[in-house]
Amino acid sequence: MLAIDRRVFTHMDWRLVFLIGAVLAVGISTIYSVTPQWSRGGTPLYLKQCAWAAVGFGAFSLFAVLDYQRLLGYAHHIFWLALGLLVVVEFLGHVGMGAQRWVQVGGVNVQPSELAKLAVILILARHFSSHVPEEGFYFRELGVPLIYLVLPFVMILRQPDLGSALLVLFVFSMIIIIVGMHRKSLILVTLLAGMGFPFFWEFFWNSLREYQRNRLVTFLNPGSDPLGTGYHVIQSKIAIGAGGVAGQGFLQGSQSQLKFLPEGHTDFIFSVFAEQWGFLGVVVLFLLFSGLLVRGMDIAIKSRDMAGTVLATGIVCMVAFPTIVNLGMTLGVAPVVGVPLPLMSYGGTSLVTTMTGLGILANVHLQRHLSLYR
Amino acid sequence: MAIVGVALISAFAAICIQLVRLQVVEAPALSARADHQHHKTKRLPGERGTITDRNGVILAKNMDVPSISVDPTSLGSAKQTARALAQVLPMSRSQVMKRIKSGGRHFSWIYRKGDPTLANQVMDLNLKGVYRIPESRRFYPKGNLMGHILGFSGMDNQGLSGIERAYDNQLKGSEIRFVVERDALGRSVMPIGSRYVRPDHGADIQLTIDEVIQYHVEQQLDLAMKETGALTGTVVVMQPHTGEILAMAVRPDFDPNRIKKYRADRFRNRVISDPFEPGSTMKVFVAGLALESGVVTLDESIYCEKGRMPMRGGAMHDSHPHEQLTFAQVLSKSSNIGTAKVAMRLGKEKLHNGLTRFGFGQPTGLDMPGESSGILPQPDKWSARSLASIAIGQELAVTPLQIVRAASAVANGGWLMKPYVVRWIRQGDETIYTEPQRIRRVLSEDVAARLRQALVAVTEKGGTAPKGAVPGFDVAGKTGTAQKASTTRRGYAKGKYVASFLGMVPADNPALVMLVVLDEPQGRKYYGGSVAAPVFRAISERVLPYLDVQPRTHRTVVLTADAHTTPPPSQGDQPIL
Repeated sequence: MLAIDRRVFTHMDWRLVFLIGAVLAVGISTIYSVTPQWSRGGTPLYLKQCAWAAVGFGAFSLFAVLDYQRLLGYAHHIFWLALGLLVVVEFLGHVGMGAQRWVQVGGVNVQPSELAKLAVILILARHFSSHVPEEGFYFRELGVPLIYLVLPFVMILRQPDLGSALLVLFVFSMIIIIVGMHRKSLILVTLLAGMGFPFFWEFFWNSLREYQRNRLVTFLNPGSDPLGTGYHVIQSKIAIGAGGVAGQGFLQGSQSQLKFLPEGHTDFIFSVFAEQWGFLGVVVLFLLFSGLLVRGMDIAIKSRDMAGTVLATGIVCMVAFPTIVNLGMTLGVAPVVGVPLPLMSYGGTSLVTTMTGLGILANVHLQRHLSLYR
Repeated sequence: MAIVGVALISAFAAICIQLVRLQVVEAPALSARADHQHHKTKRLPGERGTITDRNGVILAKNMDVPSISVDPTSLGSAKQTARALAQVLPMSRSQVMKRIKSGGRHFSWIYRKGDPTLANQVMDLNLKGVYRIPESRRFYPKGNLMGHILGFSGMDNQGLSGIERAYDNQLKGSEIRFVVERDALGRSVMPIGSRYVRPDHGADIQLTIDEVIQYHVEQQLDLAMKETGALTGTVVVMQPHTGEILAMAVRPDFDPNRIKKYRADRFRNRVISDPFEPGSTMKVFVAGLALESGVVTLDESIYCEKGRMPMRGGAMHDSHPHEQLTFAQVLSKSSNIGTAKVAMRLGKEKLHNGLTRFGFGQPTGLDMPGESSGILPQPDKWSARSLASIAIGQELAVTPLQIVRAASAVANGGWLMKPYVVRWIRQGDETIYTEPQRIRRVLSEDVAARLRQALVAVTEKGGTAPKGAVPGFDVAGKTGTAQKASTTRRGYAKGKYVASFLGMVPADNPALVMLVVLDEPQGRKYYGGSVAAPVFRAISERVLPYLDVQPRTHRTVVLTADAHTTPPPSQGDQPIL
């Protein structure tokens, strides 16, 4: 079914592959440094993450060679499947950390919200590939895309998974901006959004769990409750600060090694990295991340068609948004929302989703070259 | 596209600014905060040094004993654990509960430095969260013997009394402090790269005390306490040539292994901290001063007023009336009137200066805590009778040690010595000996020798203390029988006496100077000559052969001191008995 010709290798965006591999390696080594190298009745976490990275590269390769136009043909199926799973999770989902996020599909725990992120990007790409007016589109033409946003957004928020919900909102907004909207309509949307905000906030605030509200309150004043909700942020800031310019060294770093910093291998993996490698290490890591995003933007701009641009933009945002929110959280400039750092935090679902997206991104790049020489 | 880029870049810029703030600007403060939360200083006390007597017999030593502790958070059930522990340990269930709650979150002492068999039984119970921790505990193998000298140390290796306190700094060794890392649960983690360092061993100390002499002293003192019913009793034995304390005993006594049993006043070393009105033993020093200044000779006849001499402030009495006595007889019969008359020839200033030179009214400088200086009033505060009173040992207060030290000057040919109880301190390979220290010459050798000779008559027939005589030896002695001051009114309490006997033996070249003091002997016998002198005799009879002091073969009157009476040089040779 897949005709893999040699051009796939010659035109593959190897810079992108290298950047992905580098960030993954940094993530695995950091997980190695902060979790026990042995565990009773189980594989060490860093080895598990290695396995997930392999699976992720499999997904990357698959979607990198699969023509995204063919994938868009299934966009509706994928979207409604994701939505269906979100409904299932609403009723049957596993409760983890106080929120229903997982369903079991064939013995594998799946988070439908992860699938939903990709599904929204795909269906928007498909939608806008056939509906692009020359001078931007008007407000009334926003109706269908809004349905594609609101349905998954509300379902994800109800789990509740604030981070993913905001991600979907962010991706949607960026895609709308990219596609280009008529100026009058843009003003109208902004006005409506402004007027609707109090109502939205009411709904939003009520849909939050107690702990999520606490997080937002704590974000505004972390010192108010140093051993409660603010503890994570304070410990994270201490760890990052203790790293200093040069860092404490690999496998060192008292805050993370002595378990003062919770979730050191998941949400707060950046703090661990920053404590070990210091400011210099973080600069290198930031160069890797921004290289990744710049590559993505470049692919988006140079895409051969609107669908590719929307896909690439959506995927860049899908990676950029959690990166920024996670870094902001660990540095204490954004509220604590349980958002993992893409490609680095321990966790299979997020990793495979991200790698799938990046595979699609690589394919957008590939298709341009293949079409040029067709 | 530009809008997306700007949004991402501005968000990224905010993150970078915060990163620089945390990792560059605030890094030192945050590092300090990190250290503060995970560094914890642990202290390991040094291992306390051993104390031995002058022959190396161990008097105080640390031994490993078990303690029981719990981690309250990992107990199966605090109540059940408390019940199980209470069945084995000598504690009630509620006491155990209290201890469990008394400590930190993860650590509470239950039973400290206790019986190894009980600790084993506790461990056999296999209780969760209950641990045995080896600790070091002070043991005093001789029990009550010389408890007042050794003193005792507390649970945490701190000397609280006696030698343990005086030499605490040397004995305890240096405490080791090291920083351990503490994880978020409060568990200690040895930092990577650190080594376990053995705590420093404290210095070992050898005392000048001779356990054998001390044993005889305490045994005889116990017998005398029983026989006389005295409230308290003290004995001090000094090597007169060096100032070494050979024995020092106080009754009532205590066992330093079981200090919790006693009231605090039991621990007071009365030899050095309880001044008393000495009575007639002071006459020895008054006589020494008078002979030295030449206002009297031993042969001079003194009229003793038939036992009563009126004077301002109250007449002075002798217990037996005498008319003419030589000054030597004044001493041997302990005539108050005769002594007072000679003291008057000396005058206020000379008497006060002389007694001060003998070391009264000031601490002796013994290397033990809690020494009193006694009371020697300034002459300008003296009443009309004070001169006479002080001459016979009233209106002043002295410690037993002060008397023995002053007497040692008589015994060693005139040198006032600094008394000491520590013979050497050994830290590692280095041993530091205490050198005998002459303070000043208070009598000429000649006067000292003649005075001793005159005092031999005290223990002969016709003296006040024939019972102080030691067969085969000449004893230069002096009795003291002081009426105790009333606690309720001015003047003296009826029937309450402090009986004492000061002895130097052998008189021609004393090997030891001893003072026996019995406070309030009950019954009809209360004279120093009748209750204290026999104790001196009993102790001397046992100790002199032990010290290999040769009894006299024939009676010799030694008028001038021979070479042996010269005290050893204050530097150089190590002290010998």
